[in-house]
Amino acid sequence: MELPATRFSRAVDPWLERIGQWASWLWVLLLAVIVANVVLRYVFGEGRIEFEEVQWHLYATGFLLGLGYALKADAHIRVDVLHERFSPTLTAWVELYGILLLLLPFIAVVLIFSVPFVCTSFAFGEISSSPGGLPYRWAIKAMLPLGFLLLLVAALSRLSRVWAWLFLGADAAPDEGFAETEGGAGRGAE
Amino acid sequence: MAPNEGLALLMFASFIGLVFTGFPVAWILGGLAVLFTALAIVLNLDFNFPFAIDWSYTSLVVDRSWNVMENWVMVALPMFIFMGLLLDRSGIANQLMVSFSRLFGGVRGGLAITVTLIGLLLAATTGIIGASVVLLALLGLPVMLNQGYDKALASGTVCAVGTLGILIPPSIMLVLMADRMAMSVGDLFLGAVFPGALLGGLYVAYLLGVGLLKPDSAPASEREPVNWATVRDLFVAILPPAFLILAVLGSIFLGLATPTEAAGVGAAGALLLAVLKRRLDGRVLREVLHETTRTTAFIFGVLLGATAFALVLRGLGGDELIERALLNLPFSPAGIIITILFATFLLGFFLDWIELTLIILPLVSPVVVNLGFDPVWFTVLFAVCLQTSFLTPPVGFAIFYLKGVAPPGVEVRTIYKGVAPFIVLQLIGLVIIFNWDALVTWLPAQAYR
Amino acid sequence: RPAGGGAPSGTVTEHEAAAQRIHWRLPLSFQTTMPVLGDNPIYVTEMLRASSAGAVDIRIFEPGEVVPAFAITEAVREGKVEAGYTWLGYDQGRIPSAALIAAVPFGMEPWEFAAWWFEGGGRTLGEALYAKQNIHVVFCGLTGPETAGWFREPIESLDDVRGLKIRFAGIGGKVMERAGASVTMLPGGEIFQALEKGAIDATEYALPIVDQSLGFNRVASYNYYPGWHQPATSSHMVVNLDVWNQTAPADQKLIETACTAGVMRNLARSEALQGEIIAGFPEVGVEAHTLPDDVLRELERVTEEVLEEEAANDADFAAILESQQRFRASYAHWKARAYLPRDF
Ligand code: NA
Ligand code: NA
Repeated sequence: MELPATRFSRAVDPWLERIGQWASWLWVLLLAVIVANVVLRYVFGEGRIEFEEVQWHLYATGFLLGLGYALKADAHIRVDVLHERFSPTLTAWVELYGILLLLLPFIAVVLIFSVPFVCTSFAFGEISSSPGGLPYRWAIKAMLPLGFLLLLVAALSRLSRVWAWLFLGADAAPDEGFAETEGGAGRGAE
Repeated sequence: MAPNEGLALLMFASFIGLVFTGFPVAWILGGLAVLFTALAIVLNLDFNFPFAIDWSYTSLVVDRSWNVMENWVMVALPMFIFMGLLLDRSGIANQLMVSFSRLFGGVRGGLAITVTLIGLLLAATTGIIGASVVLLALLGLPVMLNQGYDKALASGTVCAVGTLGILIPPSIMLVLMADRMAMSVGDLFLGAVFPGALLGGLYVAYLLGVGLLKPDSAPASEREPVNWATVRDLFVAILPPAFLILAVLGSIFLGLATPTEAAGVGAAGALLLAVLKRRLDGRVLREVLHETTRTTAFIFGVLLGATAFALVLRGLGGDELIERALLNLPFSPAGIIITILFATFLLGFFLDWIELTLIILPLVSPVVVNLGFDPVWFTVLFAVCLQTSFLTPPVGFAIFYLKGVAPPGVEVRTIYKGVAPFIVLQLIGLVIIFNWDALVTWLPAQAYR
Repeated sequence: RPAGGGAPSGTVTEHEAAAQRIHWRLPLSFQTTMPVLGDNPIYVTEMLRASSAGAVDIRIFEPGEVVPAFAITEAVREGKVEAGYTWLGYDQGRIPSAALIAAVPFGMEPWEFAAWWFEGGGRTLGEALYAKQNIHVVFCGLTGPETAGWFREPIESLDDVRGLKIRFAGIGGKVMERAGASVTMLPGGEIFQALEKGAIDATEYALPIVDQSLGFNRVASYNYYPGWHQPATSSHMVVNLDVWNQTAPADQKLIETACTAGVMRNLARSEALQGEIIAGFPEVGVEAHTLPDDVLRELERVTEEVLEEEAANDADFAAILESQQRFRASYAHWKARAYLPRDF
């Protein structure tokens, strides 16, 4: 199924793409930190708890910023046993109800409750409880609402495209740049 | 049955039903958590049932997500995914697999056996299912399909072998179980060695059998004349992968890195290899990085959804439901063990291993120990059951992860078909371990003395 | 679920349900299967249930079952769960002075800590500190010293501490770091493997009985004492302040009484169970050793330095440290004279 692009999706999708691509460089950084930490500890006999904590800071940031990017690329884990026999219209209806009744409520709960979670951390000047750990814990905690905000934008963009396909079908032409491959999870549009 | 437990059952049923709509699993899990919280509130359950849930309770999903974020062990996941994608896209994986398969000459099924052996080696890392399944899928699946392997057989092999990592030590699952049971991690690690090897052996035997009986589904590679040149080529081709495996395993066994850090060391090794072999340019690296982000994100999407789902299910009393069903078993001691394992196996169709470990293990283990069974033996049996649960449809996380990265044309239905024989092999393995408990208990008794 | 969960909610009869006044969730930060450290909440909640004829029904949840182990205070603060049972040291990232209430290197011994808490003003300070978090804190468990750790090689001098790769949490970790060790905070699940393969040289963990059940004796044969970093370890029940204020005074007293009993019983268990484990060390190939005096003196000096720095950064920390030091100075007159010397 090729979803048409909408004015909203044309505005936000390139940004989701760009943010996801920037975030991807975090993996190189993570790899470098791990190697540096191993070398420091075993060659120079110096332990760095900061380096240990930076590792999960990087990985958490990477996967959270990637959530919206993955949704945009329709990279997902799904069971296609029946799905692949669905007509495109039925698939679109599933997407529509899924986004409205499942995805958006989940995003809403995480967003609503993660903001106070970050604020508390900020208000108390929370730092790592490990010896020599990292300060500014609110900053890494803020990645949770930030990641889900991007996910929200991606979900709304996709919703607008499903909507266009279902209700404005004839008027909106498929946008080649953002066309999906069938079931292309993981190997979705690059 | 109390109404809140009825709601818990409905939540289960809704998940199974909705999964087949093809909507992403992650958002079904997370969405149902929210919907059932709302439903519980609307039904005014908390009026009569003090343990009913409200928004404040469900907001714990934020604390639980934070717990996922700060879990250092999970760092291994993006690193292994990056390693797999890099080896695949740079063409090293293909070269590696082809040269490995030459070792087996004209043996039909040789390629699948090669994948199994590589999987057994990789199993010596932390054993995060998502990571090992994705890595093996990227390394082995395209090559097997190119050589004309049956899609179901190829994907079943990757799925089954990918789950072995969680049984073969070091393994986060065994660590969690040791923690739950307050037993020695070392005993559990050693106890799982032979059962893990046994399952690997059963897989190899099965693949050899398929090669003999159904040659079309596992064709042999072309037989080449053996001379010094091919031997030298083979040696040269095997050097790089040997270097990688050495980087990952060696850093663990030499005490240079923890199993988690070893994943980073392996990824760095793969990067170095790709650069040295001039297989890497900016475009390939960028593509690999982008895909690492997407793959990592969708796996963590499932983890976040699952933690929300489990929270609400537990709040509705889903635990007690399972607890009561298991507690009054009118059987002989061996019968009780079999029933517990069978129930675990069935629950594994729907729940993932963390939930099962949290719910069932502490519940049944005192019963089992009181009956005079060895707790390590029982826990290993339980672990094999859980490992199997990754493979069992409809909710088998190994299946989902494989589907996520499989080439177009490999459908979930194909994978379901492919894992079926491996589930049978798992059951055979369970029967063997059940009858010969020395497989588990002998090694811990020998070591550290 | 291990014994102690009590009647699951589903099996409570109508009669009992009608009589129930308190029905809380109590997430834990330690497994109930962990001896001494983890099993005390079973005792406390069973006591409450029995002495109230089922009216005070507090149900325990294993770490991670509902609330992650380290997030208990925060969840209680926000009212996501009514109460929790935890080691307050996990809060030190947000509340630095929580470390003083939880466990202090070269700090008070168990009965000394109990004396400070109940009679020396500790309770007032602790309750005020946590009231700012919208939490009522009840002293509920207490254990004796932990071991100074499991080492692959013997520690004979300060030189052996320098460059030592050790897993060590909290203020004690800061002290070790400053004494020249290379401190790491490996996740709990990786300690065993890392110690076995030599990725780390040593680890601090818990009481001998806990460590032995986890199998540390199998990968490190030198077990050191005394537990300088944690001469006493306290546990607390944390209750959301709004929930606490709405609780009937009689039930508040019941909970406080059960917790005070929990302190005594926890300490009794902690003291009773370790000797046998240490006696059995030769059989499992472990040597119990004492840290040399000069190492201990140096660690004490560094500890004082670290505590003073913390006090300079945080007013609550300064106030509580001052109260503890004042109490200890006065108690020292008694402690030094009344008891037989340890080597007598
Ligand atoms: Na493993
Ligand atoms: Na399953």
